[in-house]
Amino acid sequence: MSHANNNVDIHDEENYDPTVWVPKVHSHGTSDIWKRFWILLVLTVADVIAYFAVPPSMGRNVFFILMGILKAWFIVGTFMHMKHERKSLGYMIIIPMVLIIFLIFWLLFEGNFWGTFK
Amino acid sequence: MSTQTISKSSTWGGGNSPFKISYGKLMMWIFLLSDAFTFSSLLVGYGAIRYSFPSTPQDQIENLNLSFGEDVQAKYAHGAADAGEHADHAEHFIPALRDAGVFSELQWPSPDLVFNHFPFLHGLHLPLIFVSLMTLILIASSVTMVLGVEAGQRMDQKGAAKWLFWTIVGGFAFLSCQAWEWTNFITAGATPWANPYGPPTFAALFFLVTGFHGFHVFSGVVLNIVAYLNVRKGTYEKRGHYEMVEKVGLYWHFVDLVWVFVFTFFYLI
Repeated sequence: MSHANNNVDIHDEENYDPTVWVPKVHSHGTSDIWKRFWILLVLTVADVIAYFAVPPSMGRNVFFILMGILKAWFIVGTFMHMKHERKSLGYMIIIPMVLIIFLIFWLLFEGNFWGTFK
Repeated sequence: MSTQTISKSSTWGGGNSPFKISYGKLMMWIFLLSDAFTFSSLLVGYGAIRYSFPSTPQDQIENLNLSFGEDVQAKYAHGAADAGEHADHAEHFIPALRDAGVFSELQWPSPDLVFNHFPFLHGLHLPLIFVSLMTLILIASSVTMVLGVEAGQRMDQKGAAKWLFWTIVGGFAFLSCQAWEWTNFITAGATPWANPYGPPTFAALFFLVTGFHGFHVFSGVVLNIVAYLNVRKGTYEKRGHYEMVEKVGLYWHFVDLVWVFVFTFFYLI
């Protein structure tokens, strides 16, 4: 196992060894984590309130999907550490998913249209 | 392999990590992106099929006059001897609502009327409350996971072990909830090809998507247990970093993220 080799500096930038290299990490503290937890909790409760308070409609669905995307933003950004990563990594992951959001909306309306054949 | 080194030239010229993350973490991100595509196709497919059926008309639901927390088993038992004590949905609730035309193969059932159970509150009409609890459990276990990652970044072996332990507990709690939810749905008569609440595709998609997600949760719990044992053994302490906890954490958060959308599509929409 290469990582058992104590002679290799795992943080060495000059003699980069992809099998063992890891960046130096430091903690960003826990206050941010707890803040995001309360935000996610409030957003989930808001979903439940909207579910009981507003009758079903396509507008309500759009609201729920947007709330889901907002929750995803906080989970990916803080919990998955994305906001502290390089921007290029973020774009690589997020841009394909943004295209999926379009697919969701298109196919909700497309499904509606299939129903007219039944 | 450890002797193979290349000298550094520029960001994309080789000899360094352009994203400033390790090989393993980059691969985890790419795997999660591909897994996100898989779940997107399942959920988008669900959305399309769901909207090819008309929703249950709002006035039909209002005519049932169900109030929140009401004992629905007793309401539809009509004085039968087993007035709802141990009856599941299949005994009184589903036949009554099929007669009323609320549950029909021609319209998508309202999730309100399908998933309205809560453990130890048998027969009461409590829509959405149980899945909200499941969502809460998963969000809480995501927080304990990220606290474990944070402890690992400080090389705090005890802290990482403690938080990973609570994440595993949260994972098992979620899986138990899902098993209970499935049991209710199956005892009511649902299978991947039959659904007493309405179109069979509803049950097929429910089993497919929540099953696929549940299997991911299960895999995540297994990975968490492996990471927990390694933390306890001092493997990462010896290695000089707790990045494995971060990689397992990425996977665990992804599972939480998928649940956010399963919750949105199956129970809210």
